[in-house]
Amino acid sequence: MASVSFEHATRRYPGTARPAVDDLDLTVDDGEFLVLVGPSGCGKSTALRMVAGLETVDSGRIRIGGRDVTDIDPKDRDTAMVFQNYALYPHMTVAQNMGFALKIAKMPRAQIRARVLDAARLLDLQPYLDRKPKDLSGGQRQRVAMGRAIVRHPQVFLMDEPLSNLDAKLRVETRNEIAALQRRLGATTVYVTHDQVEAMTMGDRVAVLRDGVLQQCAPPRALYRDPANVFVAGFIGSPAMNLFTLPIRDHSVALGDWVVAVPRDISDNAAEVIVGIRPEHFDVGGVGVEMEVDVVEELGADTYLYGRIIKSDSVISQPVVARAGWRDPPARGSRLHLRPEPDRVHFFAPDGRRLR
Amino acid sequence: MSGLTERVIKVNVVRAAALYAALIVVAWCALFPMLWALSGSLKKEAGVSEPTLLPAHPQWSNYGLVFALMPFWRMLLNTMLYAGCVTVGQVFFCSLAGYAFARLPFRGRDTLFLLYLATLMVPLTVTVIPQFILMRTFGWTDTPWAMIIPGLFGTYLMRQFFLTLPTDLEEAAILDGCSPWQVYWRIMLPHTKPAVMVLAVLTWVNVWNDFLWPLVMIQRKDIATLTLGLVWLQGQYVSRWPVLMAASILILLPLLGVYAFAQRAFLRGITVTGFGGR
Amino acid sequence: MTRTRRRAWAGRVFVAPNLAALAVFMLFPLGFSLYMSFQRWDLFTPAKFVGLANFRTLFTADPLFLIALRNTVVFTVGTIVPTVLISLVVAALLNRKLMGIGFFRAVIFVPLAVSSVVMAVVWQFVFNVDDGLLNTMLGWIGLGPVPWLVEPGWAMVSLCMVSVWRSVPFATVVLLAAMQGVPETLYEAAKIDGASEWRRFVSITVPLIRGALSFVVIISIINAFQAFDLVYVLTGGNGGPETGTYVLGIMLFQHAFAFLDFGYASALAWVMFAILLVLTVLQLRFARRVSLEN
Repeated sequence: MASVSFEHATRRYPGTARPAVDDLDLTVDDGEFLVLVGPSGCGKSTALRMVAGLETVDSGRIRIGGRDVTDIDPKDRDTAMVFQNYALYPHMTVAQNMGFALKIAKMPRAQIRARVLDAARLLDLQPYLDRKPKDLSGGQRQRVAMGRAIVRHPQVFLMDEPLSNLDAKLRVETRNEIAALQRRLGATTVYVTHDQVEAMTMGDRVAVLRDGVLQQCAPPRALYRDPANVFVAGFIGSPAMNLFTLPIRDHSVALGDWVVAVPRDISDNAAEVIVGIRPEHFDVGGVGVEMEVDVVEELGADTYLYGRIIKSDSVISQPVVARAGWRDPPARGSRLHLRPEPDRVHFFAPDGRRLR
Repeated sequence: MSGLTERVIKVNVVRAAALYAALIVVAWCALFPMLWALSGSLKKEAGVSEPTLLPAHPQWSNYGLVFALMPFWRMLLNTMLYAGCVTVGQVFFCSLAGYAFARLPFRGRDTLFLLYLATLMVPLTVTVIPQFILMRTFGWTDTPWAMIIPGLFGTYLMRQFFLTLPTDLEEAAILDGCSPWQVYWRIMLPHTKPAVMVLAVLTWVNVWNDFLWPLVMIQRKDIATLTLGLVWLQGQYVSRWPVLMAASILILLPLLGVYAFAQRAFLRGITVTGFGGR
Repeated sequence: MTRTRRRAWAGRVFVAPNLAALAVFMLFPLGFSLYMSFQRWDLFTPAKFVGLANFRTLFTADPLFLIALRNTVVFTVGTIVPTVLISLVVAALLNRKLMGIGFFRAVIFVPLAVSSVVMAVVWQFVFNVDDGLLNTMLGWIGLGPVPWLVEPGWAMVSLCMVSVWRSVPFATVVLLAAMQGVPETLYEAAKIDGASEWRRFVSITVPLIRGALSFVVIISIINAFQAFDLVYVLTGGNGGPETGTYVLGIMLFQHAFAFLDFGYASALAWVMFAILLVLTVLQLRFARRVSLEN
């Protein structure tokens, strides 16, 4: 097991305006589970492939376990990768798929067999060892892909959206299995996903990327509580945080008719501020910002209310989302008040930076 | 930049150079006979073995000699006529049948198709003699009629292609009240351009290059094909290389033209059907 | 429903021309040639039924048959083995995203479009003992002139060379298409698993194009076994020099159209057909067993 670090790593595809990965500086500690998350095209897969050696590094360096691997072939980097589409060798059995890398490394046959059996036991694949990939279900294929990575006992595990081809229920089950497996093996893992729920539940730390640039890398809780900028604030958490761009007047901002105080150090230096409040941080009751409910989403344990803010008794077009409890959900068209929890209000500068 | 990076770049350049060198060798192997033929056709008879690619005084007169020694234009016309007729016939009948096998439900359709496939696999050697006798019985030997009989192999290609077209087109047309012929002619056919192109090119090339059938069928010079003409020339003027090479180049040119024009369709056709000429 | 019935009727009408042609030009000849193989017939005098005499003569009293068979086998093997090996390499070469690869692909496939006959004439020139390109080039590196088309053994070699030159482009197209169907991620996974370029070729590419390989082999066998055009033009209709290139295709043509012994020729055709059928079935069986074992 080893650490992985990106040092000013950049990758620009020829003919594109901006780099796919732009000056990435990131370190994954030995034994850590790091998730790279972001919307499509943010460069997370590219960054992963740079570690694998499948993507050239235009500038900067990649280190595995302290060793500079930037110019080293994938086959000499001692990494193992789980691909989004599993990339199982269709003409080989499960056992052969898992043992292929070991065979190339000229490991003795008995040892290969032992390792493959170990991994199979770990992943419940024993009954399938002699089957070909086409005879397996999606979930089983995914496990074979994991098994193929595990048997190599590599320094680093790389996973490229391994769950995205599974159905929702299987995804949740497998998510937990992968996290448990990683803890058990103590393996340094870099995991790529576009699903922020996966990121939040699985990662020791989560790195949010956008347009090739690292936005924030922190444990999930820190991302949730203290997002470094507007993008991270809006990306983490579902439904997304409400973000209002409001002018500052008298050291406060007005949400509809409700006034929210702005800390002095912010209001002294700016005319405008972006206010962020998560839907779950509103108290639905008689006091606060008034909203008219357009859509009620009853999810069983929670209810989400989508509507628009009311100002001076008329509905303006500012949308707002709030979470209500499962008891007595409000009806469509009804009006209610949302009081933001005072210490859960986020302030961002107009350029997106976090202020408070 | 570390020394490691320099080495990586150097290895990549060497590798690329080696690949290009190999590709050039292969390309040369593919082309050299024709280049040699071209150069041979421009030489004088005495100096034919000179290893120069382009002789000092190109003898274009050799090409003129070809026209004097064999009825080239007539044979070209014949060959084009035969190729054209067979191509049109094959495209029309095989696309019709291909559509029927793919989309029209009639009893025994799939069994018939299997029978058709099985018969295709019968080698030429078995059928050529009876076909000759058949032609003789019809009185068609040594006439153009024997040469314009359309082939059959296109049906397989067209059927496979029709199977890939979406069914909504036809369903809409049928609901609108089109007869099966109208569905075929107005709706399906316009969508089959790629497959038809492939079939047309393959058929054309096959007929153009065919040798055994004309050899067996034709004795008269005035309805002979170019391949036949070349072999007759070869028989008469053995070892008169410049003339033979000039004739060869002249026969190659139209085909190379067709190939250049239809190259992508041609290659796709070969992979899809698996036929490449004998 | 009238609509379905109408479509069924249309279907029958549409395939009728094809099927008619099939019956007349394929099925009838098939049956007729079998019938003829039991006759002795020369087109002018009426046919005479001779039972299995043609076959008996073929197998026991015709030394040329065995020579033709041996030559055909040598030619077939001598064509297929180099073709498969060379086209594997060339297809692997062409299966890359190099700059200008399109040009090379177009060039290498040119021999596909040109006529066997024309190429045979040209290759005759290349093989010419005194003036040919090959001997001239050999002369540069000090090797003596090779009696390419003059000496029986070398004539077969020459024939195989032209045949390989002719078959490689087709095989390459088919193999290249199959190679391009192999997903790139498999190669990436193999790279990470530690496989070198050669290893990736042998363990991933070749097994995954097995179907195309099998197809190429079968088609090549069928074509080589019946070879006629090339042989006729390169070495003349007699399979010379001295039966050096006397293959079954030539023998068939000779008996049918030179000796006008149609019965015997038909018997020969059916024997060839039977051998081909057995070879093809064996080849398919072998391919399936190899894939099962894997």
